[in-house]
Amino acid sequence: MKLACAGDAEKFSLKPVNCILTLSMICCSTVALAADAEGVGAAAFNSQVQPFFKTNCVKCHGPEKSKGKMTLHTLDGNLNGGHNVEQWEKILEALKSGEMPPEDEPQPKAEDRLAVASWIESGLRRYIEANQKVEPVATTRRLTNFEYQNTMRDLFGFELKLSDKLPVDPVKAYRFNNTADFMLLGPEQLDRYRECAQRVLASAIVAAEKPEVHRTKVDFKSDRPAESGVQPDEVIPGAENKSLRLKSWPQTGEFRMQFTASAILPAGIHEMPLRLVMGYNLDENSSMFQMEPVGTVTLKNNLDHPQTFELRGRIENYPVRPGINVERRGVQPPTMTVTLQNLYSNGRPNDNLRGIEYSLPRAVVSSVEFEAPILDVWPPEHHTRILFPSPLRESDPAAYVREVLARFLPRAFRRPVAAAEIALFTEHYQQTAATFSSFEEAMRDTLSLVLVSPQFLYHTDTAADGTPTRHYELAAKLSYFLWGSMPDDELMSLAAQARLRDPVVVQQQVLRMLADRRAEAFVENFTSQWLGTNKVKGVSINRDLFPRFLALVINGERAGTEVPYRPTIRDYMCQETAGFFAELIRQNASVLNLVDSNFAYLNEPLAQHYGVPGVEGLALRAVAIKPEHHLGGLLTQGAILVGNSTGSAPHPIYRAVWLREAILGDDVKPPPAEVPALSDSAGKAADNATSIAEMLRQHRKVESCSDCHVRLDPWGIPFEEYNSIGRYQPLVPKNGVRLRGFNLEQDKDLAGYEAYLKTVNTVKLEAAARVPSGPEINGVAELKAYLLREKKTEIVTNVIRRLLTYGIGRPLTFRDRFTVESLLQQAKTNDYKLRDLIVAVCQSKTFQGNPIKSSASTTP
Amino acid sequence: MKQKSWHLDRREFLKGGGMALALPLLNAMSWGKTAPANKMPKRMMIGYMAYGVYEPKGEKDLHHDWNWWPCKDPGPLTFTKSAAPFEPLKDYVTYLRGLDHAGGWALGGHSSGDVFATGADMMNAEKTNNISIDQVAANIRGHETRYPSLVLGTEGGTGSYGSCKTLSHYGPGRPIPSMEKPQEIFNRIFQPYAGKTVEEIRAGLKREASVLDMMLAQSKSMKQRLGHEDQGKMNEYLDSIRSLEQRVERTSRWTQEPLPKVDTKGLNLEVSHKDPLEYIRCMYDLIYLAFQTDSTRFATLMLESESSQGSELWNYATYTLGYKGATHDIAHKRPPESGLWDNWRAQQHAYFLKRLRDTKEGDGNMLDNTVVLWGSAHPHESHTGKKYPLQLAGGNNFGFKHGKLHAFEGDKKVPLANAFVSMLKAVDAPVTKFADSTGEMPILFG
Repeated sequence: MKLACAGDAEKFSLKPVNCILTLSMICCSTVALAADAEGVGAAAFNSQVQPFFKTNCVKCHGPEKSKGKMTLHTLDGNLNGGHNVEQWEKILEALKSGEMPPEDEPQPKAEDRLAVASWIESGLRRYIEANQKVEPVATTRRLTNFEYQNTMRDLFGFELKLSDKLPVDPVKAYRFNNTADFMLLGPEQLDRYRECAQRVLASAIVAAEKPEVHRTKVDFKSDRPAESGVQPDEVIPGAENKSLRLKSWPQTGEFRMQFTASAILPAGIHEMPLRLVMGYNLDENSSMFQMEPVGTVTLKNNLDHPQTFELRGRIENYPVRPGINVERRGVQPPTMTVTLQNLYSNGRPNDNLRGIEYSLPRAVVSSVEFEAPILDVWPPEHHTRILFPSPLRESDPAAYVREVLARFLPRAFRRPVAAAEIALFTEHYQQTAATFSSFEEAMRDTLSLVLVSPQFLYHTDTAADGTPTRHYELAAKLSYFLWGSMPDDELMSLAAQARLRDPVVVQQQVLRMLADRRAEAFVENFTSQWLGTNKVKGVSINRDLFPRFLALVINGERAGTEVPYRPTIRDYMCQETAGFFAELIRQNASVLNLVDSNFAYLNEPLAQHYGVPGVEGLALRAVAIKPEHHLGGLLTQGAILVGNSTGSAPHPIYRAVWLREAILGDDVKPPPAEVPALSDSAGKAADNATSIAEMLRQHRKVESCSDCHVRLDPWGIPFEEYNSIGRYQPLVPKNGVRLRGFNLEQDKDLAGYEAYLKTVNTVKLEAAARVPSGPEINGVAELKAYLLREKKTEIVTNVIRRLLTYGIGRPLTFRDRFTVESLLQQAKTNDYKLRDLIVAVCQSKTFQGNPIKSSASTTP
Repeated sequence: MKQKSWHLDRREFLKGGGMALALPLLNAMSWGKTAPANKMPKRMMIGYMAYGVYEPKGEKDLHHDWNWWPCKDPGPLTFTKSAAPFEPLKDYVTYLRGLDHAGGWALGGHSSGDVFATGADMMNAEKTNNISIDQVAANIRGHETRYPSLVLGTEGGTGSYGSCKTLSHYGPGRPIPSMEKPQEIFNRIFQPYAGKTVEEIRAGLKREASVLDMMLAQSKSMKQRLGHEDQGKMNEYLDSIRSLEQRVERTSRWTQEPLPKVDTKGLNLEVSHKDPLEYIRCMYDLIYLAFQTDSTRFATLMLESESSQGSELWNYATYTLGYKGATHDIAHKRPPESGLWDNWRAQQHAYFLKRLRDTKEGDGNMLDNTVVLWGSAHPHESHTGKKYPLQLAGGNNFGFKHGKLHAFEGDKKVPLANAFVSMLKAVDAPVTKFADSTGEMPILFG
């Protein structure tokens, strides 16, 4: 992470010209200078480095002041001795990037700067090479809830929702939580692991006797072709009136939902999505609305061609509405209800429609049938995978149990296990079996124990190179990086053959893994933590100013609040960002597409929202864009723009911090204690300010604030072109004029409000600011161009560091800087192709690891 | 408009002053009129609100009316609009101005919530958080109830360094995840056997002991293989097992005692964040029930965390007040918005205090036997971690004297931890020092 804090470090501004120059020069001159420095390290320190510090740095980082907690006058220049290595790295960073000295201070000569940087760099390199065996950081850590969820799914071959039964994992914006210091474990966590293990095994291992099958079916009749109104078998957008109340259902097992459906599609509309959800009886005027989606199908067939669909799921994952005690009517039994939802959206279903809109497509559903459990194969595969059929079970039960464990343990522990380990669990089984009423129950108990063992719950990355265990650790490292889950058979067999250090094999595997569906989870988890996209879900959208953004409840005591169980454009925005990144991987496109791209990743509601014509359906896909769409790259995506707004107004500070953290890789510190809040510093002006940008102008006038904000705000101002819901808005109201919200009486309808907005938004928006040490930038298009011109290195380095950090599950240290640098060079010669970059990360020394642990011994 | 049955229940219950919710229970019966005052349970609750409160410099009109502080001058309380919900509780509340934890100063307002209940010096001396006041009490007195303590929060989990989602910590590097789902909390407190009989539970517990032994063996064998820096992680695991072992013992002891019977009528356990009023009150109700049934005597509740972006809490002000913007932003607003929000939060806390006060216990009521600290480590102004807004309530039977605002300003400044020392002493969990304390806080006792 680069050194920069809101206080002094904000002053580390960038010298674009210098920056490019120094970097390339350092790259080609390292060897010569390094050789030079070998003999005369101390001499060069005295003759070059110290005088340089004295002239350029010590004024602020010396005996009088120590800005950013840095002092340079006491450094002894003995890098070999390992003194102040971290500090030296920070100095190197500041010099190389041109951040220091600050732009308003006298600048050293370029060659002096270069010489000092080279001296530090070669010193660091020699130090790291000579001192490999020190201060390893902790990498042993428990699985994140995300990894736990996926691992249990892949271990058992079916998925139960477990992660929401565990204490919520910590999240920190722009940081990954898969590190030792985030992944703490306490008794509560362990307790929940016990419960989850028992829960999964109760489902995984079924009882000996075949269960009874539960069925419920409903037929929706209609007397079509009557022309009057909506028929009883039709599902219209935004109404949750078609449902099926289950007569009964089993405690565990897979269910099947069959339904026959077609669509009434108005002219020009070719498909519509129909979703089935199950759980509570949906009621927008209740705050009790638990449900889980069963699945969504796309209807393209008309009434003449009804089609039958089948969806499957696990009954355990669906909320049962508990029995309630209703006064005078006694206890009502628990219920489970399947509801049909027409998810068609072009923005119109958000319009508070009261009547039926015949211009919107309707689904026609003639029947729905629920059946569980599915007995096509019994016992199910997930059962026989563990309790495999074998004559041993009868002839030698003890040997059978041992064999069951011998097969299960290596998969759970992600490595071969020793005979002693199998014996330990077998023994537990023998000791406890008698207290259970059946073989299955006793087996469940013993297996649940495997799932709370540290060997299952923890990542280890500690085995010495050359040991067999090392290869299994590498297999797990790859799979948790790219799948967020346990390694599959292919990875395990490559580990057994000790082939996972071969770069060619690594490449093949990474490409295979990235093409696998499981990689979606990686992209989703990685991008949401790195880019902080989940913030978008918490932003409270101003419903008056943006009447069409959310689907709102029309009537009842919750009128005006958001309908809780319909996917919203915000959900699609998160998918847009993850999908965009996945598309770059798929295309092996340049990392620089993150800044600007010639395509966007959209579905119909998103395209409608951004104003891109011709996109139909809910499926997100790459769509070619034109300049007039004002899209491309991450900077203009809704998850970023909305997530970093207030819901009413754009927030230039949030957006500036996002840009610097997520894209440029800076570490922006929160506002220091004792600074007045934005609104207070602006005083009375805050009440009159029509935008936060305006308030910031006031804020900057306060001296104590200006220090930081002068260096932060410019990065956020160009984003003012995009409003709080992520739409391009070139025109704004005249200074001092406030927009009023949508008002049914005044506006009659949304078109009326649009017309009002046109009369008020008359002034061209000002989105120009001079970035620190750079030119004035007006708007996001110029900002993107500037970033691509001047900040390429920072941006690519940042992506490399993010990938590497996430992949190895620990923060990078100064020891990793040369890995990052060589990855950068590699990327540069390869047009910054993203997929290749991920391969290179997995092949890198830092990823492959050389964990020198004095106490590490070989394990089975 | 269709009314839900539970809505009706809730309202009836509100009208009935809370008596309809839960009946006096077996355990609670033992605190009947005849029990001597010194045998009464001594309880403590800590509540936290985030993003500070409105405390303007201006003393006039609008700004004064909506000041979180009930009055300007130290001494007897008068009540601003923001603090009005506490007026009926005048004899049960005290306001403490000027106090804070020095350990949190350098954290900045948005992170100092981490140390609200711990007073740890996270920036300098300790580098990590430390044991919280409720856990100190639980360590000393927790064995007297079925559960040593109850740790709740609205967002759940531990959160992370600088953005905690829990108030409670066992000790350095040991945050206790807060529970946020009402149904789950209820089940864990009141239906811990999950439908099993006591005999089944006992049989299970016996097995559990051997399971834990085995987990211990497993982790020890794994620990041996790890390098020094990774062994710390295994210690977390080992400590957790030991702690589960103690729980097994404890649970097994408590199977001798019947579980309290709780009437859930009117308690909407499936309420979501979409309904903040119901949700927050449900969380308070759960603490009330846990106290009333003497299931535990120490509870913390992180009503809001200092970093709720990404959580529904960010929308609370919208849902409750129709405010158009994030809950965080309302804290930076000027009155009346900011005041309305403070008032809303005050209403919920007053609701809890009133429930305690309106429940008879011995010669007095439950609030007399419960000391409640409510506040924030993040005053509105300046994102600072200094001079917390704080209200101390109840515990009248422990000698706390109420009805005043105390100002600890200028040379009267003392560490907030001094109040903690006094609170711990009051609940019979005396310590000589807590965090940076320099003594007790006698002024609280009149």
